[in-house]
Amino acid sequence: MKHPNQATLALHAGGDLGAIARWRARRHLERCAECREEITRFEQLRQFLPSLADSPELQWNRLAAEMKANIRLGLAAGECVRADEPAGAGRIWSGARVGVALASAAVLLATGVVLERPGPTVDRETGVVVQATADGVQVREGGQALGLMHSGTSREAVTYQVGAQGSMEARYVDSETGYVTVNTVDAQ
Amino acid sequence: MPNKRQVALLALLSAGAALAQDVPLEGRVNINLGKDSPVALVSMSTGDSHSSSRGAALVLDLHMSLTLRNTSAGRIHGVALRVISQEVTVGGKGSVSIPSLNIGPGEAFPVRIDMQLMRPTQVAGGPLVDVNLDGVLFADLSCSGPDLLNSCRTMTAWEMEAQRDREHFKRILAQSGPKGLRQAMLESISRQSARPQLDVRVMRAPAVTSAAFGPARTEQFAFLQFPDSPLEPSKGSAQIAGNEAREPHIEVVNRSAQAIKYVELDWLVSDPSGQRYLAASLPASDPVLYLPAGKTANVEQTTCLRFTRRGQPVNIQGAMGFVSRVQFADGKLWVPSRADLERDSLVKVLPPSAEEQRLDDLYLKHGLDALVRDLKRY
Repeated sequence: MKHPNQATLALHAGGDLGAIARWRARRHLERCAECREEITRFEQLRQFLPSLADSPELQWNRLAAEMKANIRLGLAAGECVRADEPAGAGRIWSGARVGVALASAAVLLATGVVLERPGPTVDRETGVVVQATADGVQVREGGQALGLMHSGTSREAVTYQVGAQGSMEARYVDSETGYVTVNTVDAQ
Repeated sequence: MPNKRQVALLALLSAGAALAQDVPLEGRVNINLGKDSPVALVSMSTGDSHSSSRGAALVLDLHMSLTLRNTSAGRIHGVALRVISQEVTVGGKGSVSIPSLNIGPGEAFPVRIDMQLMRPTQVAGGPLVDVNLDGVLFADLSCSGPDLLNSCRTMTAWEMEAQRDREHFKRILAQSGPKGLRQAMLESISRQSARPQLDVRVMRAPAVTSAAFGPARTEQFAFLQFPDSPLEPSKGSAQIAGNEAREPHIEVVNRSAQAIKYVELDWLVSDPSGQRYLAASLPASDPVLYLPAGKTANVEQTTCLRFTRRGQPVNIQGAMGFVSRVQFADGKLWVPSRADLERDSLVKVLPPSAEEQRLDDLYLKHGLDALVRDLKRY
């Protein structure tokens, strides 16, 4: 069986595939447990993304600002070179140059718009967060997380209960042991 | 919806996954049941536990299967294990509890712990996870163990709910026979599947409220009063902004003749269509509460709760509360009766007790005869 590549699975997990690709991925997932597991892992990672977005290694706004600064520097350098050229040199190409300059400005404008778009929709949550994930309950702080999973039990068969003091409980009948099991994570 | 940068990040992380490596977990899990424990460890397996690097993050999947034996002279009705990771210094902890047990002296029983740890860098040496016994509840409601997580109180409440619900179904069996019991089980299962549930995220530090929600408003609680409740909620409110609720506080009066040392209320919210949901339980924040007869206390928390359903924010329109658990100074507990819960259709909004969940599962997997046999065991 030919499996979709990682990028396709990642896009599917995020709901970003086009209609036809999504349909093909769904068909494959219906009969491929391995890829379903991979999708679950991607979904878990998506839960983890907000904290990564806050990590110092991934400062998107700073990267964008640096890119724009480099573009400006390039333009300024170009102006310096042009200033050294004899007056009237290349006048014959002035129309083409204006065209190139306008096209460059348009590209710059488009790049600026893209870079200035709002960043990833990240909940700017600070401190400890308690939540249910695709297959468990989790307490998370910064880039670290502790989760208790209800592996082998579908989410619909799990009863979740929240404690306003900062706890979450997942209650289910364990398919292997047959016992009711209560997994609790607590932020205290 | 993730944008292109998040997709790119996912691709990077998946590339990291391809380089995933198994980290040996031998000796990395500590099981400590304590001295003079009423349970003994018979065996332990870490099965297909593994770790993998995904981009900057390290993910550890721990699958532990324990077999414990009842070494006491009493019947065990509940066990709670405390799960701590020294490696992941997140501000929290976990526990795995097994209520609704019925384990005789000398009998063994399995406990499964599936855990996932995430941290940004490689793990150091030393134990990854400590599993400690927190409490063991016996059939006579006595409890043993360090009880650092108040497991004894929680398991006793579960056991009282279990007794209440077993009695409810036994009464139906006695009055209406197996047919009546079958009908009651089908209604219970149908109620569980139809029960509206919200996804709730709890934040201990206040989250930044979106400007789109506007300023928070103070929503007053409405209360459901149970005639046999030792406690009466009198007034209370929470701050609501869009799909966020924070700082709930409720004033309660002790109407009983005894002093009370623990209080918990259940908090319901409703959406603009009037649909009610269980939002959270609201325990007293004071760990050393002492509420004499006739006196008043405040039950409050400082957390922020964010509500969604199927990924969409749910705007909160109303708040309702009722007393769900009370512990008296002598240690005895009160939980609402079945009649209390059937009033105002609360059973349609609240989750089933652990015991009702077990009985539903037993009926679904093994049929009516097995259920009748089980009810007669108690």
